[in-house]
Amino acid sequence: MDFMKSIAIAASGLRAQAGRMQIISENIANADSTPSQPGGDPYRRKIATFQSEMDRALGAQVVALGPVGTDSSDFQVKHEPGHPAADANGNVKYPNVNPLIEMTDLREAQRSYAANINVIGATRAMIQRTLDILKS
Amino acid sequence: MTIPAAAAGAYASTARLADPSAGLGKAVGAAGGGSDSSFGALLKDALAAVGEIGRKSDAQSQALVAGKADMIDVVTAVSETEIAVQTMVSIRDKVIEAYQNIMQMPI
Repeated sequence: MDFMKSIAIAASGLRAQAGRMQIISENIANADSTPSQPGGDPYRRKIATFQSEMDRALGAQVVALGPVGTDSSDFQVKHEPGHPAADANGNVKYPNVNPLIEMTDLREAQRSYAANINVIGATRAMIQRTLDILKS
Repeated sequence: MTIPAAAAGAYASTARLADPSAGLGKAVGAAGGGSDSSFGALLKDALAAVGEIGRKSDAQSQALVAGKADMIDVVTAVSETEIAVQTMVSIRDKVIEAYQNIMQMPI
């Protein structure tokens, strides 16, 4: 039934946004992760990508998480000579995670998730309204 | 799920129940979509289909408790079961209502 299909497609959107949420939480949690050895590279910000996928069993285009990309922008460098991860000049590299960007990304994931939930809710309401014809 | 076909079949079966003379019943059955199954068989098929969906959602729920399934899969499976059960119950209620209407017809 087409209604079941739209619920399944919306569910794929939910899964994709849940995966994106995981990547955002990784970025936020690692916002202050410093390198494990002196002069090394710290955590690099990850970027979630989405791909549309043909679900043969469903006969519809669903969404799935694509390969996780990395942000190649520069790390933040702070001068902290006493830090265990400081290099010869006393500089420590901090991750290229900007909490503001992560928060806006998080909001976007939240809104997309809610939109997919609304699709499921509207579909269920349509099914209910159809069944109500029999209950008159 | 082919609700229109099921409804047509149900209608045909009710018509046959109301009139024991098989000839007329078959004629109405043919007019009502060509379905030749009895109401009992129809209900049995519908129950089996709903039972199958229910078993799937049960398996998903158990996998969730065991930490092996995705919550989204479980929620969609359970909601699919709910819709299937509601559809079947609605059709059954309507068919039985029609049957009772015919049985209570003053002759």
